[in-house]
Amino acid sequence: MKHQQYENWILMDEELGQEQQRNLHGHLKQCSQCQALYQASHQITHLLKTAPEPAPTVGFSTRWLEQIDKVEKRKNRLILFIALGVISLATLIFLSTVGFELRSVVGSFPQMLFELVTLITNWFVFLNQISNIITPLFRVGAKLLSPVWLYVSVFGLSGITAAWTIAFYRSREMQKELG
Amino acid sequence: MCKTESQLIAEAKAGDKEAFSMLVENYQRPVFSVCYRMLGTPTAAEDAAQEAFIRAYQALDRYDPERSFATWILSIASNYSIDQLRKKKVTILSMDSDKHAWLAPPDPGPSPEKVALDKEKNALVQAILADLTETDRAAVILQYWHDYSYEEIAETLDLSSSAVKSRLFRARKLMAEKWQEMQLISAPNVNSAVKRIAHETSTI
Repeated sequence: MKHQQYENWILMDEELGQEQQRNLHGHLKQCSQCQALYQASHQITHLLKTAPEPAPTVGFSTRWLEQIDKVEKRKNRLILFIALGVISLATLIFLSTVGFELRSVVGSFPQMLFELVTLITNWFVFLNQISNIITPLFRVGAKLLSPVWLYVSVFGLSGITAAWTIAFYRSREMQKELG
Repeated sequence: MCKTESQLIAEAKAGDKEAFSMLVENYQRPVFSVCYRMLGTPTAAEDAAQEAFIRAYQALDRYDPERSFATWILSIASNYSIDQLRKKKVTILSMDSDKHAWLAPPDPGPSPEKVALDKEKNALVQAILADLTETDRAAVILQYWHDYSYEEIAETLDLSSSAVKSRLFRARKLMAEKWQEMQLISAPNVNSAVKRIAHETSTI
């Protein structure tokens, strides 16, 4: 029988039959190499089986509880960090979207401001022109007319204006009632 | 009242850490033992065993109650230790190292002679395991110290039964060769330790 077969029998983890055992022991008496392997194999099995079981120091489970608390705190911090990150990102996206939508309004604001200023300036110019026309008339009128006629003219014009305004509003109300 | 393992697992699944710490208490020794045999130092074993229990607690929802809890937890510890060895290339200490001292003595109040012999045996074991690959080492540990069958080792290490068989055969051959080499080492502490084991087996 080949030498390799005996080596397999020595290192195999299976029970050998009686015939195989007899065969192996016969070979071991003649072969010093297989004899050394056989002894080494047995000695190692003995060493592994008799080696004392290592044990942790007292308080292993208490240390585990402390560890798991730390791990969970770390995990919670990470979740909080991710949540804050997501919220920040969502806020940024929201603001960007709103900003994009408002861009047209914000972009035309200077134009609107310019138009408002122009309008106010035009009104001032218009009122100034009116003032320039009316003031000389008052001056001439004051010289030509006596104070009594001046008061009569002013009150007369005011009365006509008031009558015209009242008539205008009444006619509108009548139109509404008929309509 | 003493709770059963399945009750503790159910409570732990519901988020009760105290219930899981009872499971840690029950399985700390085999888990620590696997990690110690794999990594070779008490400090690394403590860290790995703690991490294995943390991973088990976090993965408890995936635990199949049909499966043995012991097999499941040892599978996590073995695979974590294998990963650690691959990542850090942890070196198993030599015979001369003092770091093979126990973190805790195996029984209360052992004699100084017993402690010395235990240290010596322990150092020899680690020296023999040192030359094996991570997976072969895990297979040897599960077979010799936890009496796992080929099928259980295969399930734990995610291998086929035939792969486990061939790995264990190769590991035994390597260990035997290493042992023969150690018998030739002239260092007095190694030589005497090996001789003592040889004497123990010859007297059985």
